Amino acid sequence: MNTGFPYLTVLVLLPAGAALLTAVLPSRSRALMRAVGWAGSLATLGVAVAATVAFSSGDGNFQMVTVHPWISALGISWALGVDGISLFLVLMTAVLFPVAMGGSGRHGGDKSFVAWMLLLEAGCLGSFLSLDLLVFFLFFELTLVPVYFLITGWGYERRGYAATKFFLYTLGASAFLLVGILSLVGLHAQQTGVTTFDVRQLASTHLTGTEGVLLFLAFTAAFAVKAPIFPFHTWSPDAYRESPAAGAVVLAGVMAKLGTYGIIRFDLELFPRAVVTLAPVLLTLGVIGIIYGGIVAAVQRDLKRLVAYSSLAHLGFIVVGAFALTGPALSGAVLQMVNHGIYTAALFLLIAMIYRRLGSFSTKDLTGLQRKAPVLAGIFTLTMLASIGVPGLNGFVGEFLILSGTFLTHRWWAVAATAGVIVAAIYLLWAYQQVFHGTPTEKEESFTEITWREGLYMAPLVGIIVFLGVFPGPVLNRITPSVDRLVTHVEHVAHANIPAPGQPVVAASHSANGGNK
Amino acid sequence: MSVPADFYLTLSAVMFTIGAVGLLVRRNVLVMFMCVELMLNAANLAFITFARELNDVGGQIAVFFVLVVAAAEVVVGLGIIVAIFRRRVGATADDVHVLKG
Amino acid sequence: MILASATGFAVPHIDYTAILPELILIGGSLVLLAAGALNVRHLPTRVYSLLSGATGVAALIAGIVLWQKVHGGGHPLTAVAHSLVIDGFSTAFVILSACIIIVSSAIADGYLRREGIAGPEFHALALLGASGAMLMAAANDFIVIFLGLEIMSIPLYVLAALDQRRAESGEAGMKYFVLGAFSSAIFVYGIALTYGATGSTNLAQIAGYLATNVSTSNGLLLAGAGLLLVGFLFKVAAVPFHMWTPDVYQGAPTPATGFMAAIAKVGGFAALLRVFFSSFHSLEASWQPILWVVAVLTLVTGAVLGLVQRDVKRMLAYSSINHAGFILLGLQAASREGMSASLYYVFVYAFLVLGSFAVITVVGGRGDTSHAIESYRGLARRQPLLGFGFAVLLLAQAGAPFTTGFLGKLYVVEAAVRSHSYALAVIAMLTGAVAAAFYLRVVFVMYSLPAGEAAPAMALADGGALATGTEPAAAVAAPAGESRGGVLVAAPPEAPAGAATGAGGGLRLRAASLGIAPSTLAGIAVTVLFTLALGIWPAPLFSFVHAAGLLF
Repeated sequence: MNTGFPYLTVLVLLPAGAALLTAVLPSRSRALMRAVGWAGSLATLGVAVAATVAFSSGDGNFQMVTVHPWISALGISWALGVDGISLFLVLMTAVLFPVAMGGSGRHGGDKSFVAWMLLLEAGCLGSFLSLDLLVFFLFFELTLVPVYFLITGWGYERRGYAATKFFLYTLGASAFLLVGILSLVGLHAQQTGVTTFDVRQLASTHLTGTEGVLLFLAFTAAFAVKAPIFPFHTWSPDAYRESPAAGAVVLAGVMAKLGTYGIIRFDLELFPRAVVTLAPVLLTLGVIGIIYGGIVAAVQRDLKRLVAYSSLAHLGFIVVGAFALTGPALSGAVLQMVNHGIYTAALFLLIAMIYRRLGSFSTKDLTGLQRKAPVLAGIFTLTMLASIGVPGLNGFVGEFLILSGTFLTHRWWAVAATAGVIVAAIYLLWAYQQVFHGTPTEKEESFTEITWREGLYMAPLVGIIVFLGVFPGPVLNRITPSVDRLVTHVEHVAHANIPAPGQPVVAASHSANGGNK
Repeated sequence: MSVPADFYLTLSAVMFTIGAVGLLVRRNVLVMFMCVELMLNAANLAFITFARELNDVGGQIAVFFVLVVAAAEVVVGLGIIVAIFRRRVGATADDVHVLKG
Repeated sequence: MILASATGFAVPHIDYTAILPELILIGGSLVLLAAGALNVRHLPTRVYSLLSGATGVAALIAGIVLWQKVHGGGHPLTAVAHSLVIDGFSTAFVILSACIIIVSSAIADGYLRREGIAGPEFHALALLGASGAMLMAAANDFIVIFLGLEIMSIPLYVLAALDQRRAESGEAGMKYFVLGAFSSAIFVYGIALTYGATGSTNLAQIAGYLATNVSTSNGLLLAGAGLLLVGFLFKVAAVPFHMWTPDVYQGAPTPATGFMAAIAKVGGFAALLRVFFSSFHSLEASWQPILWVVAVLTLVTGAVLGLVQRDVKRMLAYSSINHAGFILLGLQAASREGMSASLYYVFVYAFLVLGSFAVITVVGGRGDTSHAIESYRGLARRQPLLGFGFAVLLLAQAGAPFTTGFLGKLYVVEAAVRSHSYALAVIAMLTGAVAAAFYLRVVFVMYSLPAGEAAPAMALADGGALATGTEPAAAVAAPAGESRGGVLVAAPPEAPAGAATGAGGGLRLRAASLGIAPSTLAGIAVTVLFTLALGIWPAPLFSFVHAAGLLF
């Protein structure tokens, strides 16, 4: 499995190295800073694409695994690997960072801005690629520091408050994660005599029902805050609102996925029995998130807060997909993570463009942009339709898979979630109508069309939205084997000792080609 | 008839308590020093008593160390008090000087 | 090599190589004092600092040689009639104390020259204090621990009171002295009771006695152990014996605070760990629950009260209380791993706290008075490297990943989890998150723009005058033209005017090129590099600490 080139290590170290380079270069030349930022993130994207090409699609196990001892006294090793679940999140991260840097306007040439962004990219990629729980935790925590500085350094009015709230919420929740990790490792060491943080070995730890549930709760606390899942979301509207454009793109597009990815990768892998026991609770929280997010978004007067609450709804979908415990739903959840990352990023970038022209996030100040900037309005329309889940665009595929997969096992939750789709459609169309299809105000008379530069970094996102909407097969082909392996693992462990609670979990039986809609 | 060891230990405990309480309730620094001395000497008494009980010279030797340390502590403590006192007087003189200038 | 017979007063054979690091420090201290006394006109401060640093390096080398010896032989040695034990644990603390002396000499140098404090006293006292901490780490007898404790504490009392110009300093020294003497007295009484219960003051003999005998006077023993614990907890500033800490940290001259914060925890925890792991191991069931409560109180008090502080020195005092709670976690685990973890944390903490107080020394400015959080506004924009260094040190204290601070927390929390103290582990990490709030506040202030100042570069034009708004330091710094000790290089004559505009325009600091002594900067750089390098590549320190724990 070990290909010659250490793709994954390079993926993590390349942006980190570029960040270091930025830090030592003289800060005088903004063009140089910008160039280093672009070069670092684009080179990372190149490696990510190469890794995706090298990825063999029929294999559901971890690929390109590299393991090096790191802190041998504690059994911690630099273990990286990629499978179908993480592959496209890695690729998405690699795409979003250059785009976010491109969309960051004037401060894109600030030395520390570039350095923090690159370091953040390293942190995000490291989290997605780690197979060692402690290395995962390190990268998971590492992401907080750059985000804190990005928000405080380049954010809006209440940046200090928002950044601190974000930092403390996530750090507090991580306390549980760390203790959970250490407890699991301790139990594993007790049983086998081997101290290891490798998730593949820890998956075989025998846990009693209570142990499993407690550990599950400790892990999920951190992931639920990071994602965020209702009711742990209160930091996110503030953080999204006060972040600079690039920060919001990364927070909602990439870092939110750290939470849901953690749930799928670690909760499902390590605590299958607890997952089966507690799935109804999480499904309910997910559905509440969908409906609550939709309703609260509908009453927002601030575009960024609106997207923040709609994100909460979409993340609710992903949670539902993850805890439905069927192949299609889980595949849908993984795909939806990528989809959500792409269109949310696009939305935040478009909002930033509007802000640059009008200096406002408020829907009150925005009426009738359609007349002044038809192309910008067109891209906005397309992105919004993707987020609503219109067939032919990427949001549809993920939501469809999630809902159909969930319907197999948890019918009523699926029905409630479907109601959420309709709510989502209402609020976004409503906001859209207000912003674009009215009479332009005086202020808007000077509103200019999208520039070439802006078009340049929007183009890849629009391309992906359309591509994944009409042709998701190649992606699903690579996701499905890993998802099937995981679902089989959950069933195998969960049903080894205890009878299934309630309805039986349906075997992963959907076809490998998920594009059958 | 020899005095039982318990008497000495009780006396030592009483001395220690008086010292500790005195240090906590008195606000005069010199009295606080004396309270510390009282506590240290209570410990010394306990050491001697135990040394006799155990028929071991170790406890008696410990007393010498404690005495030396107590002396060193007092030297430094008084030094600090004197420094504070001098500084206060000096500062007053300075003030007068500033007013004159 | 040992050899005092049990019956008589035979003079024990003294293995001088075993106590060489302590002897070097005491010798260096005497040389400094002699040099100061013999020269009518004081030598330049630089000379004293260099001497002190060189003494530290010599002690470090002696410590490393001892480490090689212990490590090579693989078993601990005892010396001077079993009253000292030279093992991995003690040599690790010896090495750490020597490092503290080296870094602290560099940091203090800049301070002493800036303040125009001539004479060798600071360094001589610091060397003595460090030798006391080393002695505590190597002590194998309660009397020697007591002597080490006093040799360490008495110089620290004086260091706290060293700054004659500020009333706070004298007050800090006196408070520290009174409460320190109080805790020493409690400690001695604890020794006496333990001696009465076990018939010895030797740690190994007490351990042997407790292992073989079911103590008849258990109450006496527990009272003794309890008083000893109280004495130790005073020294390491654990709640509820922490009352002195904020006042003393705030009042003492800043470099002395940094040194004291580092060395007192080193000595205190070295002896505390050894006593409770070796001698009182069999009483584990009695002291573990007490330490659980103390650790929780310490963690929570440090984090929560730190939140409301407006003075950075006071804030770091509470932060150090919080850190003490973390170190207690390792002790509470009562395992070999816990001991290694505590040792690791003390290592990490010593460098973090030295570096942090070094930055505070710099920002405190002439007169050592501007310590309000507001003094830090815009620091990172005026002096990016200094700001970055302080940010690293603060974030490391908050437990940011890829710093030693994170690994320290990880290690102690792992030890706690391994001994099934799950609740304690969670509480500790949560208080860590709460404490992060006040570290972040300073970081935020450092990275935000100075109030009412559009162009941060303006501060650079201020001819080196320190301007601290309404604080009296501005008056102290007014004759900036006479650059005492050569710290202020070429302050232009119009500097007082600059100070005046500065006082009007907001809170500003001297520019890097004009105010900060290179030695202080070097000290800060060392601590920051230590924090980052061993955070990213932790294997060396981990294996060192691990080996130190095994050679107990």
